Amino acid sequence: MTPLERMAGLSAGRPIDRLPCVPIVGNTAARVIGVRTREIRESGSLLAKAQVASYRRFGYDVVRVFTDLYVQAEAMGAKVRVPEDETAYLHGPAITGSGGVSDLRPADPSRDGLLPAHLEAVARVVQELASEVVVTAAVTGPFTTASFLVGAEVLAKLVLREPATVHRLCEVALQTAVRWADAIIDAGASPSITDPMLSSTVVSPRQFREFGLPYLGRLIDRIHERGKSVTLHICGKTQRVWSLMADAGADCLSIDNDASLAGAKVAVGQRVRLMGNVPPVAVVFEGDPAAVRGAVRVCVREAGDSPRGLVVATGCSLPTETPFANIDAMVRAVEEIGWPPRVTPEVDA
Amino acid sequence: MTIETNSPDPLFGSLSDAVVNMDELETVRLAGESLNLGIEPGQAIELGLVDGMRRAGELFEREEYFIPELLICSDAMYAGLKVLEPHLPRGTVERRKGKVVLGVVEGDTHDIGKNLVKIMLETAGFEVIDLGRDVAPVAFVEQAAAVDADIIGLSTLMTTTMGAMAEVVRLLDERKARPRIKVMVGGGPVSQQFASRIGADGYAANASAAVVLARRLREDAMEAATP
Repeated sequence: MTPLERMAGLSAGRPIDRLPCVPIVGNTAARVIGVRTREIRESGSLLAKAQVASYRRFGYDVVRVFTDLYVQAEAMGAKVRVPEDETAYLHGPAITGSGGVSDLRPADPSRDGLLPAHLEAVARVVQELASEVVVTAAVTGPFTTASFLVGAEVLAKLVLREPATVHRLCEVALQTAVRWADAIIDAGASPSITDPMLSSTVVSPRQFREFGLPYLGRLIDRIHERGKSVTLHICGKTQRVWSLMADAGADCLSIDNDASLAGAKVAVGQRVRLMGNVPPVAVVFEGDPAAVRGAVRVCVREAGDSPRGLVVATGCSLPTETPFANIDAMVRAVEEIGWPPRVTPEVDA
Repeated sequence: MTIETNSPDPLFGSLSDAVVNMDELETVRLAGESLNLGIEPGQAIELGLVDGMRRAGELFEREEYFIPELLICSDAMYAGLKVLEPHLPRGTVERRKGKVVLGVVEGDTHDIGKNLVKIMLETAGFEVIDLGRDVAPVAFVEQAAAVDADIIGLSTLMTTTMGAMAEVVRLLDERKARPRIKVMVGGGPVSQQFASRIGADGYAANASAAVVLARRLREDAMEAATP
């Protein structure tokens, strides 16, 4: 059964061989082909090669072209620091203070920053793998990109002091996100949205409703118009915004390990597919294969019977240096459970 | 009559409320008023401003306030402090309960978490030397020695920088600066398990927990400093 057939079966409610499994491999892919993380960030062909090799190496069920969250904001002028062999991080916002908002322009995926390189990667991965596995590419959500454009702390204060400015920032970030999503779809892949700044670890559910929901909703509507389904990932605590995430139109919610998969199943399992939530750092990065197996079984016990299906995934992207054996163990643990995806406490006792 | 008009209680409450209500202008106005009324500034700080920030921290823990609210409350508190602190009698500025060298470790610039810890530590009376973000391990160690700090606080949101946290601990050991200087760590990917593994003295899950931990570590540091 190919990952594509497995995913289609899950959607159609047909029996399949096992639940889909997605250890979210980002820069770890560089390690699979033995190159530095900066090289895959800057070269479309190497990024594609790394992602294809990683998929073939681990045998998971969704390929996601992703290096870091800053690619869109960088294409709009944010300054990103790129260590030779570590994940990139934000060095400085695109504008200083709210005065610069009118200078911001939506990015052009065919021209600005690394968007063309990443688009090339998407097209190459699609060519190699789209016949057997879902190929996605990461789109950073408008509110999170807004935080990179003006600075996270500045944005947090603007939320209360100048809400109109926040809306203008989200609007221009949305335009970039829509263009990027369109380009990804044109290249034959599906956009997958990540909007960590909307976490309830950062902003309130009311602020999510005001500054997250409208822009996510428009972005997802656009992706749906083009016939693609959407996974929405928000880091940290999200319990109080699960229903809003579903209201935004997401087809699948990717739940962080800071939130409860069992709770999500009860709250929104009838409306959306769930994805999660093996702890990427404490278990997959720092643990051993036995710990990974245990964590997978907890996820399946909690939500393996979620009405719209469960994708056994990590709660967030894996650290670059995650041991391969632990990623293997994650896929193997899901295979071991098989179908139907049932884990009884007695078996583990 | 003097006692009545100068009765400080309602003003402290109003000052505290102004901080909790994120009202910077009102906080500054009330701070000025307290000076005009001859209220001891140290009391206005502790029972007014600090009390308000403590309440804001509680609302944050109860998930009624979030990061935006907490940041605006702290702006109000600091604006009030700016009015009151110059009027503290000499010597009373020493309300400090310990020195913390704080920063986001090299390889990361996510600093909201670090800033919240700074706010809550300062509220609790610690002196915080903020090294900012993307800070090299050796800079923490050298700065802590230079200011005779009790605690080094390390924050990150990225797993790539966790090695730099271990490096700070290693450098301190190499210089035999422990147990005099304690190390506390925090941030998204960090856990108690990780803290123990790298030999840090403590882990805090959030800014309030960081205050509780810092108080304990400060006591331990004092003990270690006593011959």
